[in-house]
Amino acid sequence: MEVTDARVVLAPAISLICAGLVFAAAEHTFWRRFLSLSAALAKLVIVMSMLPGSLRGIVYTFDLVEFTPGVGLAFRADALGMFFSVVSSTLWLITTIYAIGYMEQEPNRRRFFGFFALCVSTTVGVAFAENLLTLFLFYETLTICTYPLVIHEETPEAMKAGRKYLAYTLTGGAFVLLGSIVTYQMAGTMTLSQPGILSLESGRGALTLLFVCLIAGFGVKAAIMPLHGWLPSAMVAPTPVSALLHAVAVVKVGAFGVLRTIYNVFGVGLLKELGVCDWLAGLAAFTIIVASVIAVFQDNFKRRLAFSTVSQLSYIVLGASLLTPLAATAAIVHIANQAFAKITMFFVAGSIQRTTGKTSIHELAGIGYRMPYTMGAFTVAALSFIGVPLFAGFVTKWYLSLGAMESGQWWYVIVMLASALLNAAYWMPVIYTAFFRGSHDAVEVHEAHWTMLGPALLCAGYVLMLGMTVSVPGMPFALAQAAVHFVFGM
Amino acid sequence: MDTEATRSLLPLLAFLLPMAGAVIAVPLQRASDQVRNLVLAAIAATVAVIAIVLGAGVASGSVYELFILQLTPQIWMYLRVDAMGALFGMTAAVLWTLALVYSWGYMHGEHRLGRYYSFFILCLAWTMGVAYAGNLLTFLIFYELFSILTYPLVVHEETPEAMAAGTKYIIYILVGGTLVLLAIVLTFFAAGDQTLTAGGILSAEIGSGRLLAIFWCFLIGFGVKAALVPLHGWVPDAHPAAPAPFSAVLSGVMVAAGSFGIMRVMFYVFGADLLGYLGVMRYLTWIAGFTVLFAAVLAVNQDNLKRRLAYSTISQMAYVVLGVSLLGTEATIGALVHITNHAFMKGALFLCAGLFIRRLGAARVSQLDGAAKRMPVTAAGFAIASLAMIGTPPLSGFVSKWYLGIGMLETGNPWLLAVLLGGALMAAVYLLPIVYRMYFREPVLTPEDKATAEGREAPGAMLAPLVVATILTFVLGLGASLPGMPVALARMAAESFFH
Repeated sequence: MEVTDARVVLAPAISLICAGLVFAAAEHTFWRRFLSLSAALAKLVIVMSMLPGSLRGIVYTFDLVEFTPGVGLAFRADALGMFFSVVSSTLWLITTIYAIGYMEQEPNRRRFFGFFALCVSTTVGVAFAENLLTLFLFYETLTICTYPLVIHEETPEAMKAGRKYLAYTLTGGAFVLLGSIVTYQMAGTMTLSQPGILSLESGRGALTLLFVCLIAGFGVKAAIMPLHGWLPSAMVAPTPVSALLHAVAVVKVGAFGVLRTIYNVFGVGLLKELGVCDWLAGLAAFTIIVASVIAVFQDNFKRRLAFSTVSQLSYIVLGASLLTPLAATAAIVHIANQAFAKITMFFVAGSIQRTTGKTSIHELAGIGYRMPYTMGAFTVAALSFIGVPLFAGFVTKWYLSLGAMESGQWWYVIVMLASALLNAAYWMPVIYTAFFRGSHDAVEVHEAHWTMLGPALLCAGYVLMLGMTVSVPGMPFALAQAAVHFVFGM
Repeated sequence: MDTEATRSLLPLLAFLLPMAGAVIAVPLQRASDQVRNLVLAAIAATVAVIAIVLGAGVASGSVYELFILQLTPQIWMYLRVDAMGALFGMTAAVLWTLALVYSWGYMHGEHRLGRYYSFFILCLAWTMGVAYAGNLLTFLIFYELFSILTYPLVVHEETPEAMAAGTKYIIYILVGGTLVLLAIVLTFFAAGDQTLTAGGILSAEIGSGRLLAIFWCFLIGFGVKAALVPLHGWVPDAHPAAPAPFSAVLSGVMVAAGSFGIMRVMFYVFGADLLGYLGVMRYLTWIAGFTVLFAAVLAVNQDNLKRRLAYSTISQMAYVVLGVSLLGTEATIGALVHITNHAFMKGALFLCAGLFIRRLGAARVSQLDGAAKRMPVTAAGFAIASLAMIGTPPLSGFVSKWYLGIGMLETGNPWLLAVLLGGALMAAVYLLPIVYRMYFREPVLTPEDKATAEGREAPGAMLAPLVVATILTFVLGLGASLPGMPVALARMAAESFFH
């Protein structure tokens, strides 16, 4: 059932308004904090208020403007979009709290919080986009809004990373635009409300090219190798930016675009006919393994996190390209599982950097006794990535393995298990260094400020909840399943 | 099993209580040692009582079950107490309680005790979960947690050797766990999620290629934990590195958890008929038989006492796998009972080894000359447990070996008696010289030793667990045929496998 409801527009709009007000509030600290927090909270409330309806199968829509007949800005909160927006708005609130603590001493806080809000606005815009044009618009805006955040510190290194970031993502955006136009030409519509709008009549060659074009476009942000180069460089950004944008918003928008391309533009049936997804799955598997191997050799904490992100994102791509219901479930729930675990790790990396100034893993000897709660949160996230049962990552690993079996491509089960072991190979040493190295003398506990510790613990709690039960309030597995049922026509 | 299952909260309590204990261990550590000791011992003892109550219930024909958490729409975390699980649960909880009490004295003055006690009691929680898991995924959850979260105990002393042993341990265990997961994914795909019931959930229709893949993945995965040669590499390093009370449960329960897993897979996933049809059991018999003899031979030359005992564990636990691989009722009874018997014999030996280290500073066999004069009770415990290990009647080790021997004849494998007796003979070769040294050699005393006279006997609190474990080797031997004893439970379990 479709219902016209302004909340679908209000959700992205509220961050936009917030951004405007933050810019207007100048360097007024209280108002900036108040605005950021209340907008984040308001948005979460709006998104959550749609959740019960969404779970009952109601799809909220809103047509904003129509440029020419059939082409316009339109919003639509289906199950997949709701899932993504629930994740991103929950994390926005948590990250805002963290950012307030983390950015305390930094210059240019107005610019920072303003663009921060803009980015979240566009992320939810992507989640709720009804057609490819709307999706593209927000996708590009996100690229541009992120730039000031990446270069926030304005060091030569940051400026260089910023240029690299723009070069990669704008090129990707161009491919998305090209793909959108070709899709419109072929299908006569750009809507994302159907389980596939293209048909074989357009010709195999053309369809394959279009697929490559769209996947290459979205694949830049989803960091599919060899398009991942910008991501490790962009880690020069302040930690809350890395946390929200490079673990959740920017990269997830890319992954979300891949999901939309596969499920809503092409459709599962057509892709099975075309056979192009076999190649994409192979590429994703390659990315999963190679990025993990590279991560093992990184000593800088944030760089190791970056390569881990590259690897983990390809779980989503792999899950989507296996084209089976169980693998699709894995792909969708991994949006949440990876987001919460990875953001926990970023929060921890940032807290350690702010509290002790340490950025390399080998310097962390004994930190587990100085910052026990922080490193406890880290351990939960690490065990989740390794895929220990009862932690969120296991759910992904389990469904993706079953999905690989379901598709008859059993070797991807081996890829998943090898990746789990590689995750152990690069996260276990961190835990080991933190808790089992360093002096045996009693160390004084010196935790980060609560605005930084609290979010890390909260996200670690989510990781546990997501792993232990499918009925986490506000993070419903049922939405992922509804999306899968829609896509596979079950 | 046809029995109607009763819903019961007891199995849940059996692992929630130790989890709660783990949470409060650190704050209690700050409060006072005594409070911590009493609270944790009370928790472990309660778990032991629960396990015994459940065991008694199962022995009288009940089956208990409980659904805990819905992990995914299709899968529940599900506990189910049957005869085999009840027996393993009882063994684990009792041995854990003994080791915990022993820790008071042994660990006194050590560093990071909060971490030690917290993880020690936490591992009891996972072990109880392994024992009572009602489906494969629940089993996997507890098995993995218990494998990974024992790492802090293995490396507790943080010496370079301990750290190296810990790294070796975690690599072996993670790779093994991965193979188990692979096997479970394959099983789930072939048969769906089903309650573990005797008789198996797989059927021959799946195709023997896939069945063999599942079987070997499971076997190699659990074989790492069960220390089957050549997957045993972590055992001889981890045991000497870990603190003695943990070595006791490591040998007595953790290695056994691997054998327990193999049994679950054989009888509850495949079922005896399907295994007979696949014809893989003879390979398992060879692997296990070779392990029995090979590890026993290696044990002879170890000078480090805990290392020698570790090789002995590898050899003895292979008896269990050897027994089940014969697919006969009596041999399976012998295997199940041997897990329990071995836990207390080997537990007692490790507790003695710890006492020798703490009281005499003797970690090596060659330092134990005349130890019986200085520590008479400990040495007596060691001698009795050694005799039990060799299989002397009427001690417990004899009972399990008797059933194993009967089983070998029953299934028409008399040549295996050579392995059985060879292993026992080798046990005499690697254990009796120690007893001989303790009783018949004169102690080499340094001047300071002489100043403190000869008496070095351990305090009562450390001796008590040792004495209890030694008494249990008598009770389990002399009282083996009484109702409610392990043999009765094992017979219940084994009969359900083969009908």
